[in-house]
Formats: sequence, C-alpha cells, structure tokens
Amino acid sequence: MQLFPDGLTFAYPWVLWFLVLPILLGVWYFLRLRKKLNESVHFPSVHTLANRGRTVRERLHFTPALLRLIALMFIIVALARPQTYMSGQNIFSEGIDITVVLDVSTSMLAEDFKPNRLEAAKSLTDEFVQGRVSDRIGLVIFSRDAYTQCPMTTDYVVLRNLLKDIKSGVLEDGTAIGNAIANGVNRLRESKAKSKIIILLTDGVNNAGEVNPVTAAEIASSFGVRVYTIGVGTRGTAPYPMQTAIGVQYQNVPVEIDEPLLKQIAETTGGKYFRATGNKGLEEIYKEIDKLERSKVEVTSYRAKTEHFYPWVLLALFTVLIEFLLSKTYLRKLP
Amino acid sequence: MLSTKEILKKVRQIEIRTRGLVNHLFSGEYHSVFKGRGMAFSEVREYHFGDDIRNIDWNVTARFGSPFIKVFEEERELTVMLVVDVSGSQNFGSDLRTKQQIAAEVSAVLAFSALKNNDKTGLLLFTDKVEKFIPPKKSKSHSLRIIRELLSFEPEGKKTNIKAALEYLSKTITRRAIVFVISDFEDTGYESIIKSIGKKHDCIAISIVDKREVVLPKLGLISLRDPETDQEIVVDSSNPEFNRFLYERALRKENTLKQLFAAANVDHIKITTEKESYIKSLIGFFKGREKRR
Repeated sequence: MQLFPDGLTFAYPWVLWFLVLPILLGVWYFLRLRKKLNESVHFPSVHTLANRGRTVRERLHFTPALLRLIALMFIIVALARPQTYMSGQNIFSEGIDITVVLDVSTSMLAEDFKPNRLEAAKSLTDEFVQGRVSDRIGLVIFSRDAYTQCPMTTDYVVLRNLLKDIKSGVLEDGTAIGNAIANGVNRLRESKAKSKIIILLTDGVNNAGEVNPVTAAEIASSFGVRVYTIGVGTRGTAPYPMQTAIGVQYQNVPVEIDEPLLKQIAETTGGKYFRATGNKGLEEIYKEIDKLERSKVEVTSYRAKTEHFYPWVLLALFTVLIEFLLSKTYLRKLP
Repeated sequence: MLSTKEILKKVRQIEIRTRGLVNHLFSGEYHSVFKGRGMAFSEVREYHFGDDIRNIDWNVTARFGSPFIKVFEEERELTVMLVVDVSGSQNFGSDLRTKQQIAAEVSAVLAFSALKNNDKTGLLLFTDKVEKFIPPKKSKSHSLRIIRELLSFEPEGKKTNIKAALEYLSKTITRRAIVFVISDFEDTGYESIIKSIGKKHDCIAISIVDKREVVLPKLGLISLRDPETDQEIVVDSSNPEFNRFLYERALRKENTLKQLFAAANVDHIKITTEKESYIKSLIGFFKGREKRR
C-alpha cells in the first residue's frame, strides 16, 4: 500500500496528460467565479458585507470544489495504471574455458604498441574478458618460466584486478613458450567444458624452458585444447626503452617472432595463428577469437507486473467521501 | 417577463385592492394632508345664518339690499410626482412580493388617492439614470398607465443613482409638487440634492426594507450576489458575529436615512415587504402628518 513504490512506472503514461484537465477545470471554476456565473441569491449592497473579518467557514467555502479536483487527479493517476516490475534474468549457458597466456618478458615493453606491448595486451584482454558471459577464464604469465596469475574463474572482477596487476620484469627474463602452454593445459586439464582454449600472446622466440613447444602443443591437442597463438610485434624494428647511465634511451631492436613455430602450434591443436602489428590489429584478433569461440547463451528475462492503482483509487474515494461529507454538513452552501 | 394580459390583470388587481384603501382609509387624510396653496375666490352667494360675517361682500350686499358672502375654494390641483427606483436591488423580497412590487402597490395607492382628489400624477422611473418620465396628468387612464409601467417596466440599467433622478426632477418639475421618492436608498451622494428638493417641493421619502436584509436565517454558507454590481460573496449565515454585523448594518443605514431626511426636511415612511404592512405605515404617516399641522 504505497503510493510511490520504487521503480513506479505507468502502463498508459499518456493518460497522465489528462492531469491537465483538473487544472483546466480549476481555472474554469475560478473564471466562472469571477464572471459571476455561479448560482447565488440576490442580495442588495453585498459590498457592505465584504469588508469585515471572514469567518473560518467562509474561508473554507471552496474546499469541496478543490477536493473534487484532487479526487479527479487521483483517479487519473489510477487510470494510468501505476505498476512496478519484478524483473529478472535467467541465463542458461554452456560456458567454455579459456586460459589467456601472456608473455611478460622485458621485450613486451617495446613501444611499437601504445603505450607498450604489455599494456596494450592487458587492456585488450580486459575488454575481451568483459565481452564474455559465463566462461571460466584463467590467466597464466610467463617469461623464463610460467606461473598461474589467476586460476580458472567466472569471477571476472577478481580476474580483471589480477590482470591489472601484471607487470613486466617480475619474472626472470626469457621466453618459455613450451612451459607456458604446458601450464595453460594444466589449468584446463580437469575441465569438463565442451570447448577449451588457450590464447597465447608472445613476441619472441622460444629460448627457455624444459618443455618443447611442439611437445606442449601435442599435449594440448591430446587434452582437446585449442591454442590460438598471437604474435605481437610490428614488422621490422621496434623502439625499445633501455635503462642506461643517462636515463632511458630508446633503441630500435629488430622484432623476432618465431612465426613458423606459433603457426605449427596452432595447427597441431586446431587453433589459429594471428599476427598483431598494432593496437588495432590486436583488437581485431581478439574480436575474431571472441566470434570463433562464442558460447551458447540463452537469456530468458521475465517481468512480473504489480499493479499499484489500488491506493490511488482508495485515496480518490476517500477524498470524494470527505468532499461529500463536508459539502453536505459543515460547508453546505446555498443555493 | 409578464405578458400584456397578465400585466393588465395585475393592474386590475392592484386597482381593486387599493380602491378600498383610497376610498375609505385615505379619503380624508390625503385631502387634508396635502393642501393647496391657498384659497381662491369662487362665487358669491346669499348669506345664511352661521356664515362668517367677515366674508360678507359689502358691494354686492349694497347692490341687492340683502347680505351676500364671498365663497372661496381651496386651490387644489396639486401635482404628485412618483419617483420610483427600479434598480437591481429593488428586485429582492423574501415574502410574497419584492420591493419592486411593493413600490408599485404603494404608488398605485398614491396615484388613485391623487386622482380622487383631483391631483395630477406623474411618474419617474430611475436606475443609475432616468429610465422613464411620464409627465403629470389627471385622468383615470393615466393613473392606470402609471401602474402598468411600474409593473412591466424593464430597466436598462442595474445600479442606483438617486442623485441623477432628483436632479432631473428638479429640472423638469418647476412648480411646487408633492414628490414621493420610493426606493431602498442603497445609494450615497444624493444628500445635497434631496435637501434642495425638500426645500422646493413637499417631499416624502418611502424607504422599503426587507426583513432578510436585517436578519438572515441560519443556513450555513450562502452565496450572495449583488444584482447591481454582480459582486459575489459567500457568507456564513450561522455565524453569530456575521448576524450581528448584518443587523448592525441595517440599523446603521436606518439611522443614517433618518438623520438625512430630518436634516433635509423630508418626511420618511419606512415600509417593509411583508404582506400589506405598507398600509399601516401609510396610515400612520398620514395620521402623524395631520396632527403636525
């Protein structure tokens, strides 16, 4: 029994335009009063009765008319069908499991991407995560060795926070692509999801690690894990910040990406190899992966209406009742 | 309004109703109250025992050898002017008749009395201007016409302007006349002109009051409208303070009128709209005036 419950909407909002009607009626009544068109008893020299203190009853004489207008307003509001929605969504989806494997070697600091390769990868991965629904996503970082930054989770808030924390140089430098894939596969091993994928971002050549990348790819393949490999780096040379005695100096370093290896890994596991030469390119690649690995999501939303006209009508009736009682008793007016 | 037939019927009714009044109650009083200017010589006749010897015409007596006296007759043929208010406020009455109708009946009584006593009667109807002027004449049909006009006249104006009416009267009626001003005197600003009318003519003011102007029944809120100004007001008739205000207002007005008429040397008859009560008031007035002479 609330007049204004939270989230009040009207089924027929156009009816509310009729609220102008009582106002117009009020104006009309007032004009009639001024034009002397109302019923009244003739009485000589009324002006001599006007200049005296008015009694309470005289002051209130227009109250019934006012109450009628107010009742009309309440009825109009009730007619507009005030209602609230209990809305909700039921999401049925078969999520897939994704492990993002990110290269954090110092070469990722090269600034052929803006602001640099690592930051660009982080922010685009973040966007990618936001676009997914009910997929379990994990995060693995690697350089000389691979570590799990975030285990498989659907809690994207935690995931995104952990993604934000990734910094280059926390691990010993190097590029252990084999270890990275093995770690990623390890994360997905227990998974019962229909589709399991690894997104591998790297900008270098495998030069460390105990596991051969090709072997790792075969392991992935045997676990039914598809590996999408993304080579990050422009073609030719990339400006690379070097810490020297006189501050940060930029040096153009040739970009070396083991493209045949990455291609092979992708082919072995049934994934795909992409080459990103700039922010725009990386974004496109993520979009494509997003499209390729669309999980089936069924969203059924429902809305349950609750009508709220009742208190309004009750109020209108109450107002009319008061008007009736007043105009027939205390404020009865002749003629 | 009323059709011609209805008006004639009404005129007839008033004529019959007032005839008794005119013939019996006022027959002597009217004549003696309104006297002519003086005595005019009429004829010479033989002296009878008991005649005033001062009136013997010695020249005629000498010629005929027997005493003759001069006979004088009162110079009659007065002019009676009925100045009647037909403004909106006159259209009010809580009893059988409105002030307007009472005014018509009083006028009829006066007109027939005048006719019976050989006086000329004229009529002036006014609102905020002079609505109708019928110059004084002496005939029965003229008197009936006056009554008909009083009953059927529909004024153009609504407001009251007694001053304008009296100014018009003082311009048109130059000889001394008997002027009856019949109104509810819901007006101001006529004080000086009524004084000059009082000096020039034999003026009698007949004020008509309805009892509802003094006391309203306790009915709660009543919406009142002034028929003259169209001002509207809602009053609380159950409120004792309001009732006191209303009563005091009426009292104040009556006192003001009394003082004004006394100062203007104008006789005052107060008439209420209650049934036939005006007869008593008129008789009382005539009696009182006779005594004063």
